[in-house]
Amino acid sequence: MVGASVAFHLTRLGEKNVFIFEKNYVSSGSTGRCAGGIRQQWSTRNNVRLAMRSVDWFKRMKEDTGMDVEYKQGGYLILSFEEEEAEEFAENVKMQREEGLEVEILTPKQVKRRFPYVNVGGLKLATFCPTDGHANPHLANFAYIRRSVENGAKLFTKAEVKEIDISNGAVKGVWTDIGYVGCEIVINAAGPWSKEVGKMVGLDLPTESYRHQILVTEPLEHFMDPMIISFSGNFYIRQTRHGSFLMGQGDKDERPGINRKVTMKFLLEMTSKMSKRFPFLRNLRIIRQWSGEYNMSPDAQPIVGLSESISGYFYAVGFSGHGFMVAPAVGEAIAEWIVFGKPRSVDISQLSLDRFKGKEFLKEKSVV
Amino acid sequence: MKSEKVDFLVVGGGPAGLSAALEAGKRGLKVLLVDEGIQLGGQLVKQTHKFFGHEGTYASVRGFEIAKILVKELKEYKNIETRVMTSVVGIYEDGVLAWDRKVNETFRIDPEYILIATGASEKYVAFENNDLPGVYGAGAVQTLMNQFGVLPGENFLIVGSGNIGLIVAYQLIQAGANVKAIVEITNKVGGYIVHLNKIKRLGVPILLNHTIVRALGKERVKGAVIARVDENYNVIPGTERELVVDTICLAVGLSPSIELAAMAGAEVIYIPELGGYVVKRDEFMRTTVPNLFVAGDVSGIEEATTAMLEGRIVGLMVTSEKKKVNLSDEIKALLKELEDFRRGPASERVRKGLSKMGIKIASGGFRTEVQKSKGPIGKLRAVIECPQPIPCNPCETVCTFGAISTGGNINGIPWVDYDKCTGCGLCALKCPGLAIFMVKEDVERNEAIVGIPYELLPIPQEGERVVGTDRDGRPVCEAVTEKVIKSKDKTCLVYLKVPLEYADVVRGFVISPREKCEFICRCEEVTVQDVEKAIDEGYTDYEELRRYLRIGMGPCGGRTCRLLTLMILAKKTGKKMEDLSPGTFRPPTIPIPFNAFSEGDEN
Repeated sequence: MVGASVAFHLTRLGEKNVFIFEKNYVSSGSTGRCAGGIRQQWSTRNNVRLAMRSVDWFKRMKEDTGMDVEYKQGGYLILSFEEEEAEEFAENVKMQREEGLEVEILTPKQVKRRFPYVNVGGLKLATFCPTDGHANPHLANFAYIRRSVENGAKLFTKAEVKEIDISNGAVKGVWTDIGYVGCEIVINAAGPWSKEVGKMVGLDLPTESYRHQILVTEPLEHFMDPMIISFSGNFYIRQTRHGSFLMGQGDKDERPGINRKVTMKFLLEMTSKMSKRFPFLRNLRIIRQWSGEYNMSPDAQPIVGLSESISGYFYAVGFSGHGFMVAPAVGEAIAEWIVFGKPRSVDISQLSLDRFKGKEFLKEKSVV
Repeated sequence: MKSEKVDFLVVGGGPAGLSAALEAGKRGLKVLLVDEGIQLGGQLVKQTHKFFGHEGTYASVRGFEIAKILVKELKEYKNIETRVMTSVVGIYEDGVLAWDRKVNETFRIDPEYILIATGASEKYVAFENNDLPGVYGAGAVQTLMNQFGVLPGENFLIVGSGNIGLIVAYQLIQAGANVKAIVEITNKVGGYIVHLNKIKRLGVPILLNHTIVRALGKERVKGAVIARVDENYNVIPGTERELVVDTICLAVGLSPSIELAAMAGAEVIYIPELGGYVVKRDEFMRTTVPNLFVAGDVSGIEEATTAMLEGRIVGLMVTSEKKKVNLSDEIKALLKELEDFRRGPASERVRKGLSKMGIKIASGGFRTEVQKSKGPIGKLRAVIECPQPIPCNPCETVCTFGAISTGGNINGIPWVDYDKCTGCGLCALKCPGLAIFMVKEDVERNEAIVGIPYELLPIPQEGERVVGTDRDGRPVCEAVTEKVIKSKDKTCLVYLKVPLEYADVVRGFVISPREKCEFICRCEEVTVQDVEKAIDEGYTDYEELRRYLRIGMGPCGGRTCRLLTLMILAKKTGKKMEDLSPGTFRPPTIPIPFNAFSEGDEN
């Protein structure tokens, strides 16, 4: 989605000479495996701003691309089951409101009244942002790619970039398994493989990919508008337009690396946890489980910028499980950087790689 | 008990009774007309098709409109009293007893003359489970649908291919129902060919030598078993097959409602050609009881048009006797007209039946050959597809250019004089049988215009693409709506542009034929066409197709669709199956509910 967004914005700004190389098929990386949540309630200002700007783009995605990507602003309900976390939520909400985001703090009683299908046992408090939402990540990914291609971009699937041609400290081209392409700018939007694409120019990106698992149920008639998540409860769930429920969790025991198998442990933990929190699930059947990667950065915030050592090498990596939802704004920033010499619409200066150089950095805590 | 003394009592407010009451009433007789229905008009009120005949017999007017005209005229005469929801209980030697059901009161009528025009009732047929809800007589279906606006089912089997079966099939389709089939136990269709052609054009199968064996279902009809019969009408074992229908409509004929006349002492005789037991009468409709007349179906199952003529004869007979006036010229003219209506091949049974009562009707004397020429290629003109002599001539009388002729007798087959035909299309709009089409070929452009009379909804918009269908309702070509002429009586003339070679083929069209849907993913309802379209749009990996179309995302996990999708993908992209990625396979193998897992285990 990040690569598709960069291509979309570049071609939207009139750039014709855009090549997209995808080693497998469109949406085969993290996007095609994610739950499609679009959240603005973050604990760091950078993420809030990026997410808010992205929502502007999701809202107009249908008219921008001609494709209905099932975008729905049903809100995000974030449940806290721990005192300490609940206190942090209050601070987050204050900051989010300063950024212009409409967020409510809800007591367990209010949650019960508004979302009666949630078991509020043990709940401390919740926050709710009505303009958060979700979309079908496959369709959104396809939509940006299709519109880019219509605008003149060239898409090559099953075409892997093998090496990047560097000369005098500047990008000259790429070797792929279907041939060589000369170019002045390369954007590393390789998601789970960001580290490998960094190594191609000798750049050591501090990213690691971790497996996350997810499952989907049979459909029910629509009744759940928001995406409901909990960091302390370690889950997320949403109902798709199709009617099925998508849900997943994080697993601290996962080792870095690409592993797309699925586990019984996940299935057992999820069925136990989720049917207690959402009793309506008990009779619902699970159709499929799968997995994808969070490409994690040290502070769980994206790493976006232009390499200082290699001229023409951009990176947009380490999205830490929320690349889909911030991709529209990140793509816009990089496209503006390329076309105008610097990002115009949103400030991404604090996302550059050099924030990790011996300094303290602020970790994003709001990650499942 | 209240009593009423009248010159003329008419029992039954259908076409015969209304016509008789009018003829007598407008000549000053005191008339009382009673009818047991809730409105006057009898069967006319449910006839939504245009009638055959000529201008003097309301040709090209829809049955329910004829009822309106007659009732309106009737109301203009103060000396004609009408009472609906009123039944004659008996005709006794000491008077007539009637029961007004509106007020639940009986009253006595002392008439000098009586017409019994009680019509007919529907015949029934015995088959297994014929007591199930969902088995209807055709007349009952018409009453529900056309009088009360209630469609009793969605999918119909019609038993019997007489005019009623054919007309009800057409009306059901107009009302939006599906007619799965018409079964006809004999080896030929009983009704008029033009009625038959109307429903054939709509694609309704007519199964000759077939009958219904049983209705299926417990609480109501869920289906029907039909089978082929031999020449003795016995079911041939092994030919049974099932149709999924929710309604079975019996159109197996009518029985004259002779009861009241018989009670009054009129002689009845059994004449199968006239529908069974009928009231014996002379050519002036007089029964064996003095001053007691019959008209319409009660004296032989025929048509509303002949019923009206018979009713008028009775009205004139009664008037001439009561008032002692000579109306013999008028009566003779009507008898002549009746004879003309019965000259054709469709009235052969009626002629045979009447001869058993001693009433001789001449036959023949009209043109029976179909015009060979279909006119000069390239000229916009009328093409008439009316191959069976029937007493009907609106095409002839409506043509202001004198281009159509039935050859001097109303039963004759109409021919077109192509020198005179201007292609105006009036005849096509007027024809009650919807049997006239407008055709114009354009050889240079390799296309043709075909004008089709059309009585269904929705009406296509000009410029709208439709699918042209042939005389059997089969889709044959794409067509574009050129022009739509709408008429007051709701028959439209839809001009289609079709490829030249279909000028003589396309005789109907469908607006939105069910889109081709060959499902390959039954869980998520994805069709071959969906997959092909997606591939054309650039989705060329199985996983992309899955994400784009939801193919394989359903409960079966792709058991059916995965291979089929890959085969389409291979065919369309020219790749070998071996070179395509079959995508991933994910647990669980079958859908499994949350509560199948232990809920208590927090670890």
